[in-house]
Amino acid sequence: MAPFVEVMRQADVNKLYDEKLNRKQERSRNRRQNAPAPDPKRKRRGRVRSRIFERGMGLDLPFLLLVLVLLVIGMIMMFSASYPTAYYSPKINDSYYYIRRQLIYAVIGVAAMLLISFFNYNKLHKLAPIMLGISYVALVAVLVVPSKIHRWFEIGPINIQASEITKFAIILFFAHWGSLYYDKMQYAKYSVVPGFLIFASTAALLILEPHYSGIVIIGLLTVVMLYVSGMRTFYLAIGAVILVVAVIGAWATGILTYAMTRMDGWGQALVYTTDEMWQTTWQTRNSLYAIGSGGLFGLGLGQSRQKYLYLPEPQNDFVFAVVCEELGLVGALIILLIFALLVWRGITLSLRSKDRFGKLLGIGLSSQIGIQVVLNILVITDWLPNTGISLPFFSFGGSSLIMLLAQMGLILSISRTANIEKQ
Amino acid sequence: MANNRKKRSEKGVLQLLRFRTTILILLILVVGFGAISVRLAFLQLVQGPYLQEKAVEQQLVDTTVNSKRGTIYDAKGKILAQSASVWKVVLAPAYLETDEQRKYVAENLSKILKLDYKDIYKKTKQKTYYVVIKRKIESDEREKILNFVDALTKKYAKMSNVITLFDDYRRYYPYKDLASSVIGFTGSDDQGLEGIEFQYDKYLMGTPGRVITARNANQTDMPFEYEQNVEAKDGNSITLTIDETIQSIAEKYMKQGLINNSVVKRGVCIIMDVNTGGILAMVTADGYDLNKPYDLSDADLDAIKALPEKKRSQAESEALSAMWRNKAIADTYYPGSVFKMCTASMALNEGKVNDNSSFYCGGSVTLYDHTIHCHYTAGHGSQNFFQAIANSCNPAFIQIGNLVGAEKFKKYYQAFGFSEPTGIDLPGESDDLFFANNKMSETDLAISSFGQGFSITPIQMLTACASIANGGKVVQPYIVQTITDVDGNVVKNTETTYKRQVISTETSRKMCDYLERNTTQGGRNNGYVAGYRVGGKTGTSEKIGNSRKGYKDYIASFCGFAPADDAQVACLVFFDTPTGASYYGSQVSAPVFVDIMSEVLPYLEIQAEYSDSEKKYVDTVAGSYVGLSVKKAQSAAKSDGFTTTVKGDGNKVIYQMPSAAAKIPTGGNVVLYTDKESKKNKVTVPNFVGYSVSTVNSLAADYGLNVSFTGVTSSSNSVSTSQSIAEGSEVKAGTVISVKFGGGTVVHD
Repeated sequence: MAPFVEVMRQADVNKLYDEKLNRKQERSRNRRQNAPAPDPKRKRRGRVRSRIFERGMGLDLPFLLLVLVLLVIGMIMMFSASYPTAYYSPKINDSYYYIRRQLIYAVIGVAAMLLISFFNYNKLHKLAPIMLGISYVALVAVLVVPSKIHRWFEIGPINIQASEITKFAIILFFAHWGSLYYDKMQYAKYSVVPGFLIFASTAALLILEPHYSGIVIIGLLTVVMLYVSGMRTFYLAIGAVILVVAVIGAWATGILTYAMTRMDGWGQALVYTTDEMWQTTWQTRNSLYAIGSGGLFGLGLGQSRQKYLYLPEPQNDFVFAVVCEELGLVGALIILLIFALLVWRGITLSLRSKDRFGKLLGIGLSSQIGIQVVLNILVITDWLPNTGISLPFFSFGGSSLIMLLAQMGLILSISRTANIEKQ
Repeated sequence: MANNRKKRSEKGVLQLLRFRTTILILLILVVGFGAISVRLAFLQLVQGPYLQEKAVEQQLVDTTVNSKRGTIYDAKGKILAQSASVWKVVLAPAYLETDEQRKYVAENLSKILKLDYKDIYKKTKQKTYYVVIKRKIESDEREKILNFVDALTKKYAKMSNVITLFDDYRRYYPYKDLASSVIGFTGSDDQGLEGIEFQYDKYLMGTPGRVITARNANQTDMPFEYEQNVEAKDGNSITLTIDETIQSIAEKYMKQGLINNSVVKRGVCIIMDVNTGGILAMVTADGYDLNKPYDLSDADLDAIKALPEKKRSQAESEALSAMWRNKAIADTYYPGSVFKMCTASMALNEGKVNDNSSFYCGGSVTLYDHTIHCHYTAGHGSQNFFQAIANSCNPAFIQIGNLVGAEKFKKYYQAFGFSEPTGIDLPGESDDLFFANNKMSETDLAISSFGQGFSITPIQMLTACASIANGGKVVQPYIVQTITDVDGNVVKNTETTYKRQVISTETSRKMCDYLERNTTQGGRNNGYVAGYRVGGKTGTSEKIGNSRKGYKDYIASFCGFAPADDAQVACLVFFDTPTGASYYGSQVSAPVFVDIMSEVLPYLEIQAEYSDSEKKYVDTVAGSYVGLSVKKAQSAAKSDGFTTTVKGDGNKVIYQMPSAAAKIPTGGNVVLYTDKESKKNKVTVPNFVGYSVSTVNSLAADYGLNVSFTGVTSSSNSVSTSQSIAEGSEVKAGTVISVKFGGGTVVHD
């Protein structure tokens, strides 16, 4: 294993990135020192300008740019996907219904993001256990509050999904935990035990909703946070072995097929088994039709046909199916590339944070976006059960968009402190 | 790795963090994003065409545009069946939002279309976009619907798609029940169900067009534009060999025959061109109105009502299929004595008999345990070949059949075309029913020789008769002459097909002679038509099997042709189960044959050749003598071949009876009136029925009336059977009264 590890260390992209940035800053420092003494009158103005400039530099501009690009593309595509549904719905009957609301949420969200970027994320350190508590309260609350689907609760005009809070709470808590016990994370009682307890209890509450995809996300986030914090790979290997054995066992005994059938006909969208199942898999099947219709270059922006009521709720989880239909494989891959850049940038800039909490929080929040994108696309392509994983920046939803942008604000805040400290 | 260390150093932890972050990035961005990229590429590129096809399948709606069904013409171009535009009313109730709108729509639709309000109101509550309200509405209703749609769109918003009218066609039969069993009718989807409509469905129906449009999941239009039209191709038109005039003549007399003879199970008349095989008329009387093919006759309905409720629906469907049945080709029957023309032809063609052959009839023949009686129980005694035919003597024909022998009989039976369907282009033709295993015992041969023991269809009998008349050629009967497409191009034209020569021309000529002499001798009851040389044979056959309880049922038939020296047409008349005064072919069918032929032959422009004795009964057209002086009028009438009676004292003729252009017999009396007073004189019509021709003539002269003779007047024993103006009526002197004669030898075969 050792030589491989060595290679990996040498190929550490983050290190390369850091070194490159350090050299750049060195050069600019040198330039400033070599510059001729400025005129005293202009000096004051220059200092003021320089401060603002430095703050601007403090924000990681590439990351901000990626966020805004994704937000704009997401909004355009969400509008394209949603207007027929909005138009034909007898209750709404307004093509701009979704995009108008999403615009308002986006404005609020961007404002929140910029505001939070000035906020010192270290204040969240102490809030982490409280946040975890709030998460449990929210998860229990959605089960208790009488509603059709035990997933959201309504506060005024906006619905809040309990698992949105949970995801953030998990990241926050393990960033807090990992930075607190950074030197003891190799012990099971500091890593596996709290990880398992928190995941198991949260998962139990999510099963009751039920919200299987939420469990998958929470599980992955827990593993990611513990792994990055320094949990022994051995435990991870044991977990992986158990998971593989369980899946093979389930498959061998037929439980897996049964479970797939129970979970909204997972993986059977194109196969006709029963009338009921045909109805259940309606959305996934039409998502596949939409994706397949796109081909390499797509039908063109706004030209989707599946969004004309064939694909139900195209503004939510299945917005990317319409993207694939309209922009084709090429468009879809470009969007995925932008997502990948965002995740990579988010993680790498977090690594430059001066404190461990910032590093872990930033990595957690960035990975969450990557995980959500992967899971969402697995859902719309019928490789995961259709159980509600939204696509960041694309899917319609006020609370999740605002929350997402707020989290992006946190990453920007991390980048700002990292940059300022470096100077 | 750093597994062994109890406590990690600051630097070690940082290194681990960097390392693990790299792993994480690889997992998410390479494994995760890689997997979804591959998955998307697979779906969009590999499975793409399949998925796209599935998607398009559900997005496109294929609407059929009905094609216009072809027209059916008679031989002279008269329209027998035609399609005309009608419309289908379709409602999209999902657009109706309020109950007020639903009620408004239901109320108006029920009023315009005369449908039940509640039914329509129920339909307006459905959450769909396609509910058929009424099919095949006509243009007046369409106008009203269009006006209503106008009113609806003005009254409420977004109502333009609520009611749609789709083009459709409806079949019309202008002659209603004419040739109903031949033409047939169509179903609700314009598909042919019976007769020509069924047989030639693929020619008549045309190719429906299609409109393919993109629709959203609610089946309403998408802004996304996709529309493809395939024009409907209208059906081909068909011209029949049937002539409406001939068909009408035949139907008129067949209906009369049904009533006169209280026929229980309908009658058949087929008229065929013996040289081409074209069917000029094919009647199954009574027919039914093709515009209402599911309406039973009152008699049928009464009979069904009398049944217990359970049996009604079955009885109804049986009554319908009996009504639709083309008995001329679908029924089989014992041909009876009519078949003797075939037996005689066989014997003659084989040279087994000649004019001088002698046959003896003692009233009955005993074969093994069977005794076969002749219809003339006293026995015909010794007869020559022609007498055997004219007497229709069963014992004589048993002897003739015996001369032919079973093997030859079977050979000729096949050659005449009895052993297989004729192949006429109509649906539902039956097969014959011959003896089991195609084996004939001596008894079988004996009864077969006078047409009992095997069953054939009327069309088979007529085709055989035509071959005897036309010089021995078996023709293929057909009913469709040409099929033309919309632009008038001929798609198909039927040519005459001769299947085989069954008897020699010489035999045919002799048979025509015998059969002509048979009718001449028998008079009206043997098919004699005044002025024409007609050959023919009567037949009365007992029905076996499905007879009414407690009765012996018979089929009375007559089969003949004209002119006997150069045959043009053959005609078969057939009545199933007559229950009137007589059931004999000679008394039931032959007179109907005579009536039909005496109208059809002139129509076909076959020249009448009257014998001298007949000539004086042939009508001449009276000229106009009004306005002339009495003397001039008298000489004019004389030169036209009439005698005159002058009434009144005037100089000029002011009125004549019969009037100009009326038909009166040559030598008839024209009464010329010269003043108004004398014009008022009237004559009381005497009884003309029951007298000989000469008595009727002198009676008419005594009363100052004119008589037009119809029926058989040539025979010495002709007796008048009816008169056109009833006894005791007051008429003007000189009025023409038509007197019908019947008589001749009645053969009870």
